[in-house]
Amino acid sequence: MILEALEREGVEYIFGYPGGANLPLYQHLPEHPKLKHILVRHEQGAAHMADGYARASGRPGVVFATSGPGALNLVTGLCTAYMDSVPMVAITGQVPSTVVGRDAFQESDVIGATSSVTKHSYLVTRIDQLPRVIHEAFHIATTGRPGPVLVDICRDVQQADAERVTPERLAIPGYRLNGHVDLEGARQAAEALAGAERPVILAGHGVILSHAEHQLQELAEAAAAPTGTTLLGIGAFPVKHPLSLHMTGFMGTGWNLKAVQNADVLMMVGMRVDDRVTAKLAGFAPKVKTFIHVDIDGSEMGKNVRPQIELVADAKQAMAAMLPHIGELNPGRAAWLTQIDAWREEHPLRFKRSNGRLQPQDVLIDMYRRARSEAIVVADVGQNQIWAALWWNYDRPGLFINSGGAGTMGYALPAALGAKFARPDVPVWCVAGEGGFVMTAQELSVAVEHQLDVKIVLLNNFSLGMVRQFQDDFYGGVRSQVELTHMPDFVKLSEAYGMPATRVERFEDIAPAFDAAERTKGPFLIDFRIDPEANVYPIVPIGKTLNEFWEAPES
Amino acid sequence: MSGQIRILSVEVEDAPNTLTKISGAIRRRGFHVRGISVGPSREPGRFRLTLQVDHGHAEADQVRKQLERLVEVLEVTDLTGDEVHSRELVVAKVSASELEALLRRGAKVISTAADGTTVEFSGERDEVGAFVDELALHGIVDVARSGPVVMRRTQ
Repeated sequence: MILEALEREGVEYIFGYPGGANLPLYQHLPEHPKLKHILVRHEQGAAHMADGYARASGRPGVVFATSGPGALNLVTGLCTAYMDSVPMVAITGQVPSTVVGRDAFQESDVIGATSSVTKHSYLVTRIDQLPRVIHEAFHIATTGRPGPVLVDICRDVQQADAERVTPERLAIPGYRLNGHVDLEGARQAAEALAGAERPVILAGHGVILSHAEHQLQELAEAAAAPTGTTLLGIGAFPVKHPLSLHMTGFMGTGWNLKAVQNADVLMMVGMRVDDRVTAKLAGFAPKVKTFIHVDIDGSEMGKNVRPQIELVADAKQAMAAMLPHIGELNPGRAAWLTQIDAWREEHPLRFKRSNGRLQPQDVLIDMYRRARSEAIVVADVGQNQIWAALWWNYDRPGLFINSGGAGTMGYALPAALGAKFARPDVPVWCVAGEGGFVMTAQELSVAVEHQLDVKIVLLNNFSLGMVRQFQDDFYGGVRSQVELTHMPDFVKLSEAYGMPATRVERFEDIAPAFDAAERTKGPFLIDFRIDPEANVYPIVPIGKTLNEFWEAPES
Repeated sequence: MSGQIRILSVEVEDAPNTLTKISGAIRRRGFHVRGISVGPSREPGRFRLTLQVDHGHAEADQVRKQLERLVEVLEVTDLTGDEVHSRELVVAKVSASELEALLRRGAKVISTAADGTTVEFSGERDEVGAFVDELALHGIVDVARSGPVVMRRTQ
């Protein structure tokens, strides 16, 4: 009955791992050829694959795991999806209802362990609850602010016979969807934006989730408002647009941070305004007189920054409602745009090519030259993530996928595989450091088994680069436990899994390696031995305001 | 500190996970429960909670908003600062010789036994606090005190 329900929800892929408490599900799986099951090598991989699948397809990712350790291995993946509002339905087996609470073999309180990292969860102990619960789970995961929903189903319920039941009509009285835009608020927001002398718009993941990129661009152009994005909002606004401020936050571009810190009206759309965006909160955007906050989740209003105008609504509808009210612009606008251009000239992205070592930015620049905006980049966490965010000119949503909120190392490889299942027609690049890569490297099996055409760009600096950079700059220069020695030979490791790979140590070998990757059908890994001293810039020192960003040394 | 306390009336679904979810949300956001009472609501399958929550450094309205995000929560009414009827209940066992003073304060005898007399007293938080202080002077055998039950006053 569960599998039938999944078919009814239009599920295409299930990422999962069998075990004692979900055996009945797997017994009947072969009867449902429409449900393609991907056998992962660790449950965390299943959750990240479903996450990558969901972000690349817009459809909910589906995960199976057994009870106890199986389900608990999902926790990091659920948290990753929860922090970044990714729709997911995880179906976990639970010990039979007759022994729940008796510390049975592989029993754990999965609902208790996952409550704080799921949008909602259900424990199913009776067969008659099932049709309603599965249907509700998909509804809750995909509507409003999306998120992961966990359904924990006792093994005896999975086995129970029941007449085929069509789901009841949804009745979830405690589930509130914020649909209607406050039109008066939208008018006020539009007037504030148009009337501002120095407006700035920042766009987050919510803009991408609501497919509001066109409304954002129209609004930015109508209001002549410089527009930047958060890390997760990358792609919501074209990086090469004349009004683009590129990425904001404590590793954002210099001209973005200058703009935010000097704005008089700041509109924040589909974002949480977290500490990575604001840096030291007390000094965030100090000249702003009117904060406008648009988000579908009302609890984001004033959670970190108190807005003068708040619109609790879907980003697309809210911006569409604002557009007609953009009237005459403040006469100071031309001077503001000139100032932004001057800051862009003054604080460009740059890096130093001095010590003859391979620079990660050169790798990414060559990659972008080939892929343009036709490829999906799935980044891991750390320096590799910020380099991949800053050195590609993403011009539309959905091309850059990464774990922004949770910052989960090991995310990239399984998420890239999930993205490739979702978009087999689009080139998928996985960018990872060697530290994060080995956390989930066992999923290479899945890449090889399904001959997934995913190219892995390993930015290998023999260390935990971001932690090393923080230790150097903010923790007394004490390098502690950041050197990764005794790592595998990644070329041999790939070959052991049955996939080709190559190693690059010099600038002139970048292009031939990418040529080889592009010629190869199926997975391919390039082990780029990059400069271990390469740093991420700009960066705002810990505890400082956005004004105090450090830039890369001039080359 | 009382400026940090929100008084909320919360209508919830009677589900196995409801209290865990509510207490989890409160803990995770750095809030602290100062008083709680739970009882069935008029609607079958629903419960009504009265919560006194210290929201610490977070914005006052965050408590309501974070609770509203939970699917198990049907309605949250913030009663902070409103004109309300608020009652707490205390049940205490005292030695029979000490009864007189408590009865003068309005306590009611529930039962009498060889090892003591059990009384009940209800009132506003301060009154109940004062009553408990009084009990301390009279040799309490045992005492149990409820959280608040709050309802908005009709105009």
